Amino acid sequence: MPNVMIRRKPDGKLQFYVAKQDMEETVATIEKDTAEEWGGAIELTDGSKWYIDPISPPPVFPTTLRFKRG
Amino acid sequence: MSQAVENIQPSYPLFRNDEYKANLKNKQDNYEERHPADKIQETFLWSTTKEYQDLNFAREALTVNPAKACQPLGAVLCSLGFKNTLPYVHGSQGCVAYFRTYFNRHFKEPISCVSDSMTEDAAVFGGQKNMFDGLENAKAMYKPDMIAVSTTCMAEVIGDDLNAFINNTKKEGHIPQEYPVPFAHTPSFVGSHTTGWDNMFEGIARYFTLNHMEGKEVGSNGKLNIVPGFETYLGNFRVIKRMMSDMGVDLTLLSDPTEVLDTPADGKFRMYSGGTTMEEVKDAPNAYDTLLLQPWQLEKTKKFVQNTWKHEVAKINIPMGLEWTDEFLMKVAEITGKAIPESLLLERGRYVDMLTDSHAWLHGKKFGLYGDADFVLGMTKFLLEVGAEPIHILCNHANKRWKKEVEKLLASSPYGANSEVHIGKDLWHFRSLMFTNKPDFMIGNSYGKFIQRDTLHKGKEFEVPLIRIGFPIFDRHHMHRDTTLGYEGAMYMLRTLTNAVLERLDEETRGMGTTDYNYDLVR
Amino acid sequence: MTNLTKEETQALIAEVLEIYPEKAKKDRAKHLTVNDQSVEQSKKCITSNRKSLPGVMTIRGCAYAGSKGVVWGPIKDMIHISHGPVGCGQYSRAGRRNYYVGTTGINTFGTMNFTSDFQEKDIVFGGDKKLAKLIGEIETLFPLAKGISVQSECPIGLIGDDIEAVSKKASKELNKPVVPVRCEGFRGVSQSLGHHIANDAVRDWVLSNRDGDNSFQTTPYDVSIIGDYNIGGDAWSSRTLLEEMGLRVVAQWSGDGTLAEMELTPKVKLNLLHCYRSMNYISRHMEEKYGIPWVEYNFFGPTKIAESLRKIASYFDDTIKAGAERVIERYKAEYEAVIAKYKPRLQGKRVMLYIGGLRPRHVIGAYEDLGMEVVGTGYEFAHNDDYDRTIKEMGNATLIYDDVTGYEFEEFVKKIKPDLIGSGIKEKYIFQKMGIPFRQMHSWDYSGPYHGYDGFAIFARDMDMTLNNPCWGKMKAPWIKDEAAPAIAAAA
Repeated sequence: MPNVMIRRKPDGKLQFYVAKQDMEETVATIEKDTAEEWGGAIELTDGSKWYIDPISPPPVFPTTLRFKRG
Repeated sequence: MSQAVENIQPSYPLFRNDEYKANLKNKQDNYEERHPADKIQETFLWSTTKEYQDLNFAREALTVNPAKACQPLGAVLCSLGFKNTLPYVHGSQGCVAYFRTYFNRHFKEPISCVSDSMTEDAAVFGGQKNMFDGLENAKAMYKPDMIAVSTTCMAEVIGDDLNAFINNTKKEGHIPQEYPVPFAHTPSFVGSHTTGWDNMFEGIARYFTLNHMEGKEVGSNGKLNIVPGFETYLGNFRVIKRMMSDMGVDLTLLSDPTEVLDTPADGKFRMYSGGTTMEEVKDAPNAYDTLLLQPWQLEKTKKFVQNTWKHEVAKINIPMGLEWTDEFLMKVAEITGKAIPESLLLERGRYVDMLTDSHAWLHGKKFGLYGDADFVLGMTKFLLEVGAEPIHILCNHANKRWKKEVEKLLASSPYGANSEVHIGKDLWHFRSLMFTNKPDFMIGNSYGKFIQRDTLHKGKEFEVPLIRIGFPIFDRHHMHRDTTLGYEGAMYMLRTLTNAVLERLDEETRGMGTTDYNYDLVR
Repeated sequence: MTNLTKEETQALIAEVLEIYPEKAKKDRAKHLTVNDQSVEQSKKCITSNRKSLPGVMTIRGCAYAGSKGVVWGPIKDMIHISHGPVGCGQYSRAGRRNYYVGTTGINTFGTMNFTSDFQEKDIVFGGDKKLAKLIGEIETLFPLAKGISVQSECPIGLIGDDIEAVSKKASKELNKPVVPVRCEGFRGVSQSLGHHIANDAVRDWVLSNRDGDNSFQTTPYDVSIIGDYNIGGDAWSSRTLLEEMGLRVVAQWSGDGTLAEMELTPKVKLNLLHCYRSMNYISRHMEEKYGIPWVEYNFFGPTKIAESLRKIASYFDDTIKAGAERVIERYKAEYEAVIAKYKPRLQGKRVMLYIGGLRPRHVIGAYEDLGMEVVGTGYEFAHNDDYDRTIKEMGNATLIYDDVTGYEFEEFVKKIKPDLIGSGIKEKYIFQKMGIPFRQMHSWDYSGPYHGYDGFAIFARDMDMTLNNPCWGKMKAPWIKDEAAPAIAAAA
């Protein structure tokens, strides 16, 4: 359950950053990304899958959230 | 600001142009929240007073700008003096990066030394695994004939046992049983870099001789051992070798890094070059005696050599200046039965001749002096001999016995009447002394340059110029090649000091139409 | 000399690895790679930020070096205590050339060494009392110091001292920040963790000191320079460009930096990040806590400078964008003249680098501006995110080495035969003896600055003076016959 910092990159995509692992990945797909809620299963461009219970209302980025391996 | 391509300027003088000056001033005024200039100046002037000095000398816990380094640095230098030997430091890897860098900057030479890179897990479980891999890797990659192990404070605090670890490394087959791995515990919270040299030497001597004393007989090989201690002047190793060769004395210099610290630039990097051989160390107990060039810094070595090798370890002083070189040579003659040859007599005469030529410029000149114990003692002796006054004598790592010895020496000369000896004090203490009782010059390593800058900041008449003799010297090139021991060393020091006096006099008498009546062509 | 093919470079790596014992060989193989620009993620081709192998002669330092030596040390109006035995503070004293202006010993302390000089009794009984006492002595003798940091050396974490408690108490008594930093040298695998720990200490003990204090007059153009250590004046030749284009550089981290500047940084509009490796942590924190965006930039060489100025300007309005163009235009004649003079002397020369932080990738552009080519590069303490950023900068089939060992570096150089090496003091004399022109690229070899347009001129001058100095042709005595030893590279 790493702490993940999610930030918006200049190109508009979300970046998934895990300091302890020096992991700087781009978010590819998000299960729920609406005006009401954000989260669920998330896949990164490196193919790895993560999960977070959907948050409502959606968080403001940048922010740090706890993810599970999906 | 724009650089002109035909006159490209580095930081100085680049940042002295108006555009940069304005920009930096703007930074100071608007963002730094700097103290007002008059407050800074007032505090500076206060820091030069006797009142400040008293507060400064009342320090009990804080060290500012020390004049010493830590043990493993000395252990590395000692190890470098043995043939095909790789210094290996058991503990954190950052230490080795620092030791190498420190020597690189002083000698302008490559320094080969490995660490076994202990990290947090080693802090918990001990560093034995690191040693298994470390010795195996180092031996395979750098192919030394011997690996000399010392320790950082990390390994010492967690209590790693080198003897057991090295034996286990061999038992486990990482390196062969017979492969030489002498070692020494060198905790950096005990003593200084000179202690580390002493410990490492004792470790090497112990490794090769302690259990091999059978059949050893004092004097049987007809040689004389000399142990230099923490010595960084290449010329000092060379002058000792030359003087012994002139006398026809068969010398074993125990730790001789002159080759590995002075390899040529000819297209090839030599990781190893020259140095004392293992055979020489093994044979060392058979010598007539062992002389310690820096006896105050070699107490553990002395004990070992006396107890195990059964050598007398004839008492000498560091052969600096005239009399102690005389005594050193006479002692060598006495031990070996070899006469002091004409060539050394001639050299002595030449030095005395230089002394007669230059004495007037040094007589009564006052010096502040800091550095390692034996160097400072020898320099004090030298200054007294030339009629100069060493008024501030400071050694960060020396003990009370040493202080008494220096005071005894000072009492023996009228030029020592105004001198004070400081032990356990650092260069911030020394700075106070430069202000409150100003000498004409200070003698020490490169760190003194900051004190010269501070004294100049108070005013030109308060400036104490630094004469660079000591270790480390980072800001002048190739001075480590010079010599401070023997008559040759005395010549070098005499020339250096005399010309420093003359340079300074020229600087002060260069004023056109003001002081230049004394800006003499002939001095 | 032409360059190696991919296969030849791979063969070279394999050959160099031969010397290692099996276990070490397997490990080191992961840290050496042939660059392939098509690789998206560096972790697929190179491993980094792992423990150095024991006994291999790594060039790395420690966490203390990363914190005291790099991040905290240059904050000039604070006193940084090297807490523990005497060595660490002595070896790291005044060697890094972090330039600053001030009255040293009075209101600035950058080139000094403050240490608790631990003795055996401090190890046995703990050093907290000594620490508390020496902080008091600092206050007496150096009353103008703005704050204190306690830089832990190895023993502190091993003997169970509570420097946090001592610092908190002292801070209250002195009414100045006293910052405990747990940067013991055994932590982590290199300097890198020291940077992180130092960043976290800034975050926890300094950064929020002025939250709620709005007395500082801000403007829409306030920025800070993050991760510039002002080596030889680098940050100064950078800040002038930024201010010329209309920005206000409120803070420098940490070269020529001050406590006040650090405390004011949360009020800026944009953080400009030069050394990503050592200060991305605090930049990310400010992004999250204060909503301050950060942008990486590169002030080495005119191509990258112009690119960076425009990128920075893109965060601001048209006046700044116009300002960036004006600055580029103003210095055009200068850098064109520099290139016109030096490119013909340096064209086609091949360079190998091995440095830390940002430079193994950031200086590539500056060399390319002079017509030179970087054929091998590597980092002492990079992480994957650094290599991600490096792959694109390096040519295909060039060599990349992570935490290179003394042996590997020497062997690579023997085979690749570069015309110039840029690395550190520990490597310098090895390669100079081998007859290869060498520049220290940590300290700028006692020159600099190298940042900005003014710095580029110095960079070009320095590379030329070293590469083209007559001394390199004097290695062989005239009466010694040349051995026929063609380089592998020549055959390619």
